[in-house]
Amino acid sequence: MGQKVELACIIDDDKIYVNLVKKIIEIKKLSNNLLIFKNGMEALDHFKLILENATEERLPDIIFLDINMPVMDGWEFLNEFIKIKNNFEKKITLYVVSSSIDPRDLERAKSINLVTDYLIKPIELKKFEKIFERNGNAAA
Amino acid sequence: MLNDLQLNSILEDFDIAYWKINLLNKEVSWSEHFDTLVGKPIFSESHFEYFLKEILHQDYRYDFRLYFDKLTEENEAFSIELKLKLNNGKYRWFECRNLKNKENKKETAVLLFVNIHQNKRDQYTIEENFFYYRETAQMTNTGGWYIDTQNKNIYWDNVTKKIIGCPLDYQPPYEEHLRFYAPEEHPEVTSAFDKCEKYGIPFKVELKMRNLYDKDFWVRATGKPVYNEEQDIIGIRGVFQDINDQKINELNLQNSLDLVASQNSRLFNFAHIVSHHLRSHSSNLCLIVELLKDAKTDKDKIELIPNVADISENLDLAINELNEIVNKQTVLEKERRIVSFERALSGVMASTSSLINRENAKIVAEFHALKEISYISEYLESILLNLITNAIKYKHPGRRPVIYIQTYLKNETPFLEVSDNGLGIDLDQYGDKMFGMYKTFHENLDSRGIGLFITKNQVETLGGSISVTSTVDVGTTFKIKF
Repeated sequence: MGQKVELACIIDDDKIYVNLVKKIIEIKKLSNNLLIFKNGMEALDHFKLILENATEERLPDIIFLDINMPVMDGWEFLNEFIKIKNNFEKKITLYVVSSSIDPRDLERAKSINLVTDYLIKPIELKKFEKIFERNGNAAA
Repeated sequence: MLNDLQLNSILEDFDIAYWKINLLNKEVSWSEHFDTLVGKPIFSESHFEYFLKEILHQDYRYDFRLYFDKLTEENEAFSIELKLKLNNGKYRWFECRNLKNKENKKETAVLLFVNIHQNKRDQYTIEENFFYYRETAQMTNTGGWYIDTQNKNIYWDNVTKKIIGCPLDYQPPYEEHLRFYAPEEHPEVTSAFDKCEKYGIPFKVELKMRNLYDKDFWVRATGKPVYNEEQDIIGIRGVFQDINDQKINELNLQNSLDLVASQNSRLFNFAHIVSHHLRSHSSNLCLIVELLKDAKTDKDKIELIPNVADISENLDLAINELNEIVNKQTVLEKERRIVSFERALSGVMASTSSLINRENAKIVAEFHALKEISYISEYLESILLNLITNAIKYKHPGRRPVIYIQTYLKNETPFLEVSDNGLGIDLDQYGDKMFGMYKTFHENLDSRGIGLFITKNQVETLGGSISVTSTVDVGTTFKIKF
């Protein structure tokens, strides 16, 4: 087993999904801490606050971003996040996670450098563990 | 033979040959020019027999003999057109007639052969061209017309009259010629004719004409200026082609195309719901099954059960929504009827009374400027329902929701406006997404994001449009143009 991820972040409005993922992370002890935002706007506000305070303590190692959300969806969040991302020293790995199997969504996500991969819900437990393992090592 | 050499040479110059007939013994002798024409043949029988056999086209032999006999026996004058075989072996048209006999020359008769081949050919060409023109005009329903702008007269040919549906002796009125065009075409027609009359600019347009019985039909019209010798424009002439059937087909095709496109976009939306919305629930279900399998203790398993209940509830809700969208869109088959706004609103208020009462909403309606409309009543009710529930859902927390509903006519177009004093929305940020599917802008528990999508669909299906104006913290107005 590799190192644990210190801080993971989930941006998703589906409460049931978030609950389940939270449970998985707890049971499998994949991450020490977890940040949860229910839309892109909430997450963006958090990252902007980190910038202002100039402390990267609450900056996640890994982000799981949903596409379809109210107020600010995943694409809009990515547009804004790209603008501020380079101000952070820490390496952040970002996965787009969606139940959409629309190939256009997949293409669009892959065309953005910031996005490491496009994961289709449901994510298998084993794959989930692997992603955390890989990033845990890197973040250590 | 005629002794007058001068006359002879004149006749030759005009390509006129002649016969001299001795009325007593019926012997024929012919002029030198005739000899030249037929190639100075050598023959043993009489001129007449040789002529019938070798020179005259067989179609005319019977007639010619008949006329010849009448001339020689009864001195009866005649004139026929016939074909002669010339020295080059080709047949040419001639007019054959006898020279009027003078009283004192009863023993001889003179037959003139005048070459009329060129005339005959021209005449044939004209007839042939006229035939093609007439057949083309009839087959393509194309009529000609001429406007004499100097003497203020209009001339129509028979096909034009047939297209317009008027009797053949009808004289179109010059000053009221616009009456033969659909009113919406008047500006274009006036401008096209004016430009042609004043500046000689030709035109070729498709427009709607109006026949004598006030029925509109499509034509393709061309017009070109007519100049006199001084190069002044003295009139316009052109053709009308009745293209009503083609045009109607074309318009129908366009309509079907639009229909297919809109059905296609609905299908696309449907696929979108399935792909995004249904899948999120089913994927949660998969995830929970995996977790259940992985769970080590009964306690862990039991803890997961409430999640299963939530998922099944959400799944049920999503399927109902899909059903709702499909049902609303099949209403398309229904016909428009006169619908009263008042009645539609009272139906909506009855079905939402619990919501209205709970939120203590006040609804003010002004329908006196426009009381009713030809519409599909289910659509109108659904539109009102969506806009009213929307207004209440996004009410301002600090005040009692007030909804003002108004109908009116503007430039003969009916409008419906629904205004509220609610939260309002930043249109700069969300304006273009307002009517999209599953777009929700407030973190409201009841937001499902399909209400406005359905409303827009319904309005557009019946050929209208919907627009929105809003100010944050003041309120929102939806305006529907029917």
